[in-house]
Amino acid sequence: MQREVGTLPLAPALRARLAAAGFQTAQELLDTGPCGLSKEIGISREEALEALQVVRRECHGNAARTAGGSGATRKCTALELLEEEQTQGFIITFCSALDNILGGGVQLTKITEICGAPGVGKTQLCMQLAVDVQIPECFGGVAGEAVFIDTEGSFMVDRVVDIAAACVQHCHLIAEAQQEEDHRKALETFSLENILSHIYYFRCRDYTELLAQVYLLPEFLSEHSKVRLVVIDGIAFPFRHDFEDLSLRTRLLNGLAQQLIIIANDHKSAVVLTNQMTTRIGQSQSTLVPALGESWGHAATVRLIFHWDNSQRLATLYKSPSQKESTIAYHITCHGFRDVQPPAVTHSTEGTELNPRKRPRTEEERQ
Amino acid sequence: MAAKKLRRAQLSQEMCERLSRYQITTCQDFLCLSLLELMKVTGQSYYEVQKLLCKVSRACAPKMQTAYEMKLRKSVNPSSAFLSTTLHSLDRVLHGGVPCRSLTEITSPPGCGKTQFCIMLSVLATLPVSMGGLDGAVIYIDTESAFSAERLIEIAANRFPTYFDSDEKLLCMSRSIHLYRELTCCSVLKRIMSLEEEIISKKVKLIIIDSVASVVRKEFDTKLQGNLAERSNFLTRGASVLKYLAEEFSIPV
Repeated sequence: MQREVGTLPLAPALRARLAAAGFQTAQELLDTGPCGLSKEIGISREEALEALQVVRRECHGNAARTAGGSGATRKCTALELLEEEQTQGFIITFCSALDNILGGGVQLTKITEICGAPGVGKTQLCMQLAVDVQIPECFGGVAGEAVFIDTEGSFMVDRVVDIAAACVQHCHLIAEAQQEEDHRKALETFSLENILSHIYYFRCRDYTELLAQVYLLPEFLSEHSKVRLVVIDGIAFPFRHDFEDLSLRTRLLNGLAQQLIIIANDHKSAVVLTNQMTTRIGQSQSTLVPALGESWGHAATVRLIFHWDNSQRLATLYKSPSQKESTIAYHITCHGFRDVQPPAVTHSTEGTELNPRKRPRTEEERQ
Repeated sequence: MAAKKLRRAQLSQEMCERLSRYQITTCQDFLCLSLLELMKVTGQSYYEVQKLLCKVSRACAPKMQTAYEMKLRKSVNPSSAFLSTTLHSLDRVLHGGVPCRSLTEITSPPGCGKTQFCIMLSVLATLPVSMGGLDGAVIYIDTESAFSAERLIEIAANRFPTYFDSDEKLLCMSRSIHLYRELTCCSVLKRIMSLEEEIISKKVKLIIIDSVASVVRKEFDTKLQGNLAERSNFLTRGASVLKYLAEEFSIPV
């Protein structure tokens, strides 16, 4: 209760008045009471009451935190985290090689960033994930819903229909092979209409709408508590033009990243962002690097870079706290995101090679 | 949406006046500030500022729709989803034709037929819906001066002799193709920005820009330092306006 008045989240004018009147700690405020406060500072009784309520809320929050209570506190032991992580689900991508290098699939409560040149398959993967997050638990999915925030306008409903139809087909095949009761029951609700009606789509035209939407997301997610995936397709696009002030851009992006981390943790959902590539002109050559600058690189927990090698699409795990760097090949078929046939087997020795050129040749040798 | 004045975001009058003293008049300015700055500027407590933020965000956030609603909307009106190119294999690959509500880019080495393809699409767009067209006007932004009206008439007369049997029909068709010759990046951008009103007044159903690359390459030399950023600035700005037009009016670009 010894909290200083200057640190309380009151209006600045009110704080200045309290300081001028000589109040130093929150306890003093609470002891004075609303009538006394209003007389001393010269504000109305209602305002004084509001201020006291704010102070009380803050101090109770503080007390709970210092007592190590549940809810507001964010500390727990590593053992509890381990247990949580082990029971946490992954969102599979239907490409087993990609799932392997990610450690099971796209992780919940983490931000995954997908960078790549145009046309390499970022939006395809996002659409695939929006369908895959809805797979019922008995088939190995997380049975959640998806929020799709589109800034580039590349979301094609027909394509999602194709992907969803293939996914439903796949589950039907599994159910037939295994013949279990809960499989059949789950399949009744896992239909095309259900999948499509659980993808919530927002089309943001510029960065203001994107910022507004991300501010409103926590409220939306508490109303729709089954959402387990938030996709922002094209986080780079609205920030790449009309921005003379680069420091403002960095600040907005950092704020956005912070909010997304909070959303991912509080609602136990995965956040997937797609980023564009930009050319960095070096001394004598130019390289393709992810857009939005160096500071944005710290925002995502897991970074995947998609690129081409001749006519083969490759995915490189560029940054991950728990998996090592590796590159795999993938395919985009009419059913969605898939492995290259035969499925690429990632040996641990080959995984350390970052040079994408080596991969196709070794596959040819094996064949 | 971003330039929406705070007044229309249902903030109180005194709040708007107070914010305008700090030059914050649009939703964009408001959302770009951090929470502490907002507290200082509005003179409100932390919780109040959060509520204000939600109010302003709600004023400019996009509307939610589920994928299912989008699919239903598309299936209700299938003919308006594509402009068929009348090349059957191309239509098959594109799943129906040039899609409405999105940008389609045609690239090739010189001489392959891009401008011819664009001229043919212009003819197709003016045809009535029963013949696979869009029954509307066309805006053709030409940066290379490659558009030839005679070729337009030739294509129309030879491809659809039964429809374009009279001169009058040909004249009517060519009247609905509005040609703009723009030779610099600046004028192209200005033209794109001014298109919204023209689309409504002339009932335009197709926008063609031939070609984006030529005007950009003429003006921006990528070897110079600052030019790359400016060039991509111009391109992305043009692209976002065109995407907005395509989606808003459900037309192909």
